[in-house]
Amino acid sequence: MRRRGRAARVTALTAWAGGLLGGACVAWSAAPLPGTRLAALALSLAVVCAVLGALRLALAGVAAPEDIFISVPLRIWVGLLGVVRVPPWEEGTIVATLWLEVQHPARPWHTAVLGAALIAYLLAVHLDESRALPRVLRPQAPLLAAGACLLAAGAGAAMIPAVGTGGAPDWLRGLAAVAAVAAAVLVVPVSRPDPR
Amino acid sequence: MAAQPRPPAPARGTTGATGGERSAPQLHWQLSRHARRLVTLALAGLAIALVSGRPEFAGVAAPALLLLAARRPARPARVGVEVWLGAARAYEGEEDAVGVTVTGPGEHDTELRLRPGTDIEPVNAVSVTGTRARFGFTAPHWGRRRIGTLDVLLRDRWRLTEGRATERLPALDCYPRPAQQQTTVVLSHLPNRLGEHAARAPGDGAEFAGVREYAPGDRQRRINWPASLRRGRLQVNTFAAERSQDVVLLLDATSDAGRPGMSALDLALRGATATARACLAARDRVGFVSYRWGGVQWLPPRLGERQVYRIIDSVLAGQGGAPAGDRLHRLPRAALPPGALIIAFSPLLDHVFVEALRDLRERSFAILIVDVLNAGPGRGRSAVDRFTQRIWRMEQEAIRFSLRELGIPVVHWDGEQSLDLPLAPYTRRVMVVRR
Repeated sequence: MRRRGRAARVTALTAWAGGLLGGACVAWSAAPLPGTRLAALALSLAVVCAVLGALRLALAGVAAPEDIFISVPLRIWVGLLGVVRVPPWEEGTIVATLWLEVQHPARPWHTAVLGAALIAYLLAVHLDESRALPRVLRPQAPLLAAGACLLAAGAGAAMIPAVGTGGAPDWLRGLAAVAAVAAAVLVVPVSRPDPR
Repeated sequence: MAAQPRPPAPARGTTGATGGERSAPQLHWQLSRHARRLVTLALAGLAIALVSGRPEFAGVAAPALLLLAARRPARPARVGVEVWLGAARAYEGEEDAVGVTVTGPGEHDTELRLRPGTDIEPVNAVSVTGTRARFGFTAPHWGRRRIGTLDVLLRDRWRLTEGRATERLPALDCYPRPAQQQTTVVLSHLPNRLGEHAARAPGDGAEFAGVREYAPGDRQRRINWPASLRRGRLQVNTFAAERSQDVVLLLDATSDAGRPGMSALDLALRGATATARACLAARDRVGFVSYRWGGVQWLPPRLGERQVYRIIDSVLAGQGGAPAGDRLHRLPRAALPPGALIIAFSPLLDHVFVEALRDLRERSFAILIVDVLNAGPGRGRSAVDRFTQRIWRMEQEAIRFSLRELGIPVVHWDGEQSLDLPLAPYTRRVMVVRR
């Protein structure tokens, strides 16, 4: 009983953490808000997706009535639950947040923090969805550490002055970064056998 | 309410076996939602890095790519699922449990989820992490209920892929909660069969019947010495014979009026169960006739407590549709033995059933009706509504009056009190029936 109560508390905490991290990601990528229409659109999309994603987490435990003959308000409520639960709001939040971030002038460390927050957001959402305790992420800790290093490396690479002022076109510099990340992912020994 | 004995387990091979049922459902594997989100983050980061030429976005994609590139263990195509029921039969509101054991998930984490069926209420968590689980549930209303389905969810160590299998859980026979009844109705004329009711005829029973003069062949231990001294001749005690009777319970399942859980059919079945239990405890043979639209189902009178469960099982089995059986006035002697006492549980709303009761009475059967109607037409405010209600009530009273005039007692039972109370006028002394 005590274990179940603890699990319920942890699940509530992860739901809160998911909602707050989603909001924080949107706020972090929006500040300061560029004055363009595209930025306003991206911000609106991000806010809607983050709010509905948080609502989905909050309403995860609410059971929809299975009866066929239900009243009109109950039918509307079931429809709303379907609207909140079915679409992939978290994916929308990610895309809108990154779109909002790219509309700012280059700020590598700011972007790196956003990347870390987005990963934390996804992990919190996943924990809440699967009603799992945070200890299930323990095997992923080395990967997350390696990912954090690559994130920092990406931000550091963007801060090298030569990268920003070189003669190569932008897409080529982007391609180089992508290739570097892909090479690093392939090099990191992530295929170790399960120790269990 | 006193605790009811648990219904017996069904025979091996019947529905809802309590022993473990094993199966090997196929798993359907797909990317988890978590993996799809990571893919979105990685693709969005890489695309922005390529398009905008900003390497920090490639860094944003890096953790997601690393998590996605993690090794995944071999996926099993099937898992073994063993399901067992705590009890395949339970009373209304009684807690039961279904246990599940999953074998062969390999290195994957297992989650078991119960999706309860109609009229099944879980009493604890419906989702358990691990390869073994025990889900408690109750069935609030009698009937043959499917417990639901079981979802087996396998996740790899990195939670990127999910294997899902669904298994149907066995059915539960939910028995009506029997009413309270201790006493039984006993006829004045009993068939010549050994039993526990004291008959009018002299015999070898235990109940004292009278004194008569000694005759050669009488047992010496039966001599009544005080009476012999007073009369000056030897007197012997006589005892009443002990006989049993045939009781046929007649269930009117044509109309189910009243609120759910206390409807006429609910009360009729609970009352019939209680009467069957009381009669069988008094060593009477109990038969059962269920009258529904389209026909009649019957069980011949038998002894033993299992007859109660046969009766309920026959009602549960016939719950799905109308039976194509015999007519009530054409039932064979095996179903309605001559001289049997018929106890009918009915709301007396069906005129065909009432006519059948009259017909049975005219064939000299002793009949007692337990009226289980506790509902009426909705109360309206208009004068027409009130008038209609009054006509309906008078019609119902006329039906009951006409039955009483034929010598069929009608007692009303509200379903709350013990059945002994309405039956008291007929259980305190033997029931005398005009032939």
